[in-house]
Amino acid sequence: MEPSAHISPAQSAISDEVVVRIRGLHKAFGSNHVLRGFDVDLHRGENVMVLGKSGSGKSVLIKCIIGLLPTDAGTIEVLGHDILALRHEALDRMRVRIGFLFQSNALYDSMTVRENLEFPMRRHLSELSADERMDRVVTALTDVGLAHTMDLMPSELSGGMRKRVGLARTLIMRPEIVLYDEPTTGLDPITSREIVELILDLQREYGTSSILISHDLNVAKLAANRVIVLHEGRAHAQGTYDELMRSTDPVVRRFFDSL
Amino acid sequence: MGIVHYLGSMPRTAPLRAFVEEVGDLARFTGRFFREVFRPRYEWEELLRQAFINGYRSLPLVAVTAFIMGLVLTVQSRPTLERFGAESMLPLMVAISVVREIGPVITALICAGKIGSSIGAELGSMKVTEQIDAMEVSGTNPFKYLVVTRVVSTTLMLPVLVVFADAIAIWASYIGVNIKGSVSWPLFYQQVFDSLVFSDFLPAFIKSFFFGFAIGIVGCYKGFNTKKGTEGVGQASHSSVVVASLLIFILDLIAVQVTDILGYN
Repeated sequence: MEPSAHISPAQSAISDEVVVRIRGLHKAFGSNHVLRGFDVDLHRGENVMVLGKSGSGKSVLIKCIIGLLPTDAGTIEVLGHDILALRHEALDRMRVRIGFLFQSNALYDSMTVRENLEFPMRRHLSELSADERMDRVVTALTDVGLAHTMDLMPSELSGGMRKRVGLARTLIMRPEIVLYDEPTTGLDPITSREIVELILDLQREYGTSSILISHDLNVAKLAANRVIVLHEGRAHAQGTYDELMRSTDPVVRRFFDSL
Repeated sequence: MGIVHYLGSMPRTAPLRAFVEEVGDLARFTGRFFREVFRPRYEWEELLRQAFINGYRSLPLVAVTAFIMGLVLTVQSRPTLERFGAESMLPLMVAISVVREIGPVITALICAGKIGSSIGAELGSMKVTEQIDAMEVSGTNPFKYLVVTRVVSTTLMLPVLVVFADAIAIWASYIGVNIKGSVSWPLFYQQVFDSLVFSDFLPAFIKSFFFGFAIGIVGCYKGFNTKKGTEGVGQASHSSVVVASLLIFILDLIAVQVTDILGYN
């Protein structure tokens, strides 16, 4: 999958403002210490990709960021708020400002595509009329090229379509930060590329900052402004895709030599 | 302290320790329910939807079961009463049996099978496919949205279903009485309601709330704590039925004792 010239993450939109700051993050499951002092800064408008092999704690990292998993030690600051100190409604309000695309898409299978997209709006944008909600649904589905699927059930969609609907549902609340958990896993190379293009288009349109979790180097090449290699629970190396490509570090080389 | 230390020293897989831990987890889950149920925001729309699903959609099954229960009880009781020359007591006996005991317990067991398994499977499936996590990250409290609404709906709907089942069973008993006899509906109706007093109905009605609560909380607990993928969904569904059914019998036993102490027997 060779990238075409027009597919690249926006560099000019990145500001100095840090929207996610993680310091000394530790997380263990029993005797398995998956994160051992992980640090990262995500700037506004930036796409950071965390690269790591399976089981290295990538998904655990973003689940800690959004408060799905409790941490053992360390601090997580999101949009100026200590996410670990937020409780109940305050945490829910913060989560509305963060989008999360699950690896499995996690569409509500008892609801139609339209109801899936309306669900967060009904709860957090109750001031919108039914027509306004519908407009947003149509716009979001049109953005991902699936306006015709509005009344279908998730079980009637293909894997790539489900990913697109998941993306539309994630972005319909106009989040400032989006966390992508393995956005291209399980998809064919063509659909993977389409999803990456879509992520970049939506980043430009909505001005989001993103953390992408993946072991797919094509995603790193096409979508990331900066790549962090997660190894033994720490940020082992970081830089642009090209910088890491030239790295002689044996851990980094193991990823790139597999290309 | 001694018992706690003894249990703590057991291997994690020991059946007694696993049982005690399960009871503890269920108690904590129930405690969370009572904390969340009174705290806004209230999910009225979802509560009504669940009341429709768990109440209205259970009516056909409950109706058929209650009809057969009333008919069979009448037909089976007739020979014994005939032996004592007490055929005229048939409506009285069936009405008291149905209203005080059989109606609530059979309805609760049927609902444990239908509603409990459905809640366990639905929430279990949502758990293993990360739909519950998706709800949480979208800023919705899944415990309030999924658990509180389902438990409140089963708690409120089961007494309604029990009253409905009692009425159907008594009507079926009228048909049963007329298979081998001839009693008019007004006479049957009068005999039934002359024999029943409010204290027959009230304890049974009250215990139905507890049965409904048990069905809802067990189904939600099992579903919400599902592990091990699709296999876990099956386990959640079937153990919801087993545990809820067992709890219904235990609660019934307690209700009988309490009713007795309060002098309603």
